[in-house]
Amino acid sequence: MREVAIIGAGMTKFGRSDLSLIEIMSEAAIRALEDAALGDQKVDSVYVANMGAARLNRQTAIASALVDQLNLFPAMAEAVENGPASGASAFKNGFQAIASGMADVVLVTGGERMREVNNLEATDFVASMSHPQAEYIYGVTLPALAGMFTRLYMDRYGVTAKHLALVAIKNHANALKNPYAHIHQAITIEGILTAPEAVVNNPYIADPLRLYDCCPVSDGAAALVLTTREIAEKLGKPIVKVGGIGQATDTHAVHERPDPTELTAVKIAAQKAFQMAGIGPQDIDVAELHDAFTILEIAESEEAGFFPKGEGHNALEQGVTSLGGKLPINPSGGLKAKGHPVGATGVAQLVELTWQLRGAAGDRQVEGAKNAFACNFGGFGNNVVTTVLMREE
Amino acid sequence: MEEKVYGVQCKTCGKETYPAHAVCPNCGGHDFEPLEITGEGKVLTYTDVYALPLDYALRYLRLAIVELDSGLRATGQLVDDDPKIGKRVRTTVGVVRETGGRKIYGLQFVPV
Repeated sequence: MREVAIIGAGMTKFGRSDLSLIEIMSEAAIRALEDAALGDQKVDSVYVANMGAARLNRQTAIASALVDQLNLFPAMAEAVENGPASGASAFKNGFQAIASGMADVVLVTGGERMREVNNLEATDFVASMSHPQAEYIYGVTLPALAGMFTRLYMDRYGVTAKHLALVAIKNHANALKNPYAHIHQAITIEGILTAPEAVVNNPYIADPLRLYDCCPVSDGAAALVLTTREIAEKLGKPIVKVGGIGQATDTHAVHERPDPTELTAVKIAAQKAFQMAGIGPQDIDVAELHDAFTILEIAESEEAGFFPKGEGHNALEQGVTSLGGKLPINPSGGLKAKGHPVGATGVAQLVELTWQLRGAAGDRQVEGAKNAFACNFGGFGNNVVTTVLMREE
Repeated sequence: MEEKVYGVQCKTCGKETYPAHAVCPNCGGHDFEPLEITGEGKVLTYTDVYALPLDYALRYLRLAIVELDSGLRATGQLVDDDPKIGKRVRTTVGVVRETGGRKIYGLQFVPV
């Protein structure tokens, strides 16, 4: 298997966009391609990550449309749909294409334009991932699944509303240092939890989860250029190596899991990625976790092996996961504050980590970051892709 | 009018599953009999959904995962003004959603 390196990274500002899906994906792709400065090298293959173009934007076959916009003919191209884990899935496909020798240069672009529809329609679009007969018909949404998960987690492990708020406060603070983030708003415990007006400013969405426990609905795109280690060295690029990728699945209906507080797919996917990379969770300097809901940052930090089960909220409270702590989590602001254009998210996590490993993350730089970890979480944990990136001197 | 909710029981090994799968998760068998999802159990977890999905005009929607005494678990609507983790409930079947003029029947849990 050939070694694979990331040589280009770019994204759009997440938020509300007036551009079409193909236009925002083009913007991110052009930034990544300019960053890669390929010279005579041509893009052999394009992987597009997207979940909802057919339903939200009434457009299909978007990989062909993107190639057309970017004049990348006759590159191979296809779209990858794997729910909110589409981004890391497309990246995995790009990795495989290079590792196998099928392609030398790959463009991975993730994008979603969700604000084309209203919030009710966007929520229903995401809810359509749930089990049609055993969950969806009851009015189950992703916040509902997360709410039930959170209540059980609080009951069993002593996580409180304050811990959830601390995730949001940390990630909002990080996002203030990220010009690409959707939400630029400092928040406090008083404002979202303890002040009398908090019940109005931070209403329940699916209790015990409140508005500030949930990611926003965002438009946005992110892109990466991958190539072989040899070509990366020839182009004189800093080497951000793909150390390992892991993926695992779990039951469709959440209630079928032996212990519904365990995210088994996160655990297995993380173990696989670490095994492939030849390092462990203790070697990671910075992580981007899929905090679509605040509880998920805590739970994933445990399943990935950074903290024992039931202790992630203590590490959070002690500042371990803040910028400047021992293991900063979601320096980008995470899905919570950077935003969550579903198809773009897995790619955007890796764009952030590429910048972190290059030392190019500005005010949110994790000093000396050498090894990085990303968790891209699909469904309610029924399909998870994790990635380990490593900077090589 | 179908007013029952069914899982399956594997004809080969007897494993009960809800919802149904094409392949038995216990023995790999492909032959199943319908299994009515009914009985008593306890609330494993619940939530009140205020950001309502399509098709609902309520103040909030109360959902739960219930662990039945048979060991099977099911997701459904919780009809209880005083919900608690561990509280005893039993299954009933009622209209859980109306979409495009069509009534959809499903599990509604009520206190024992």
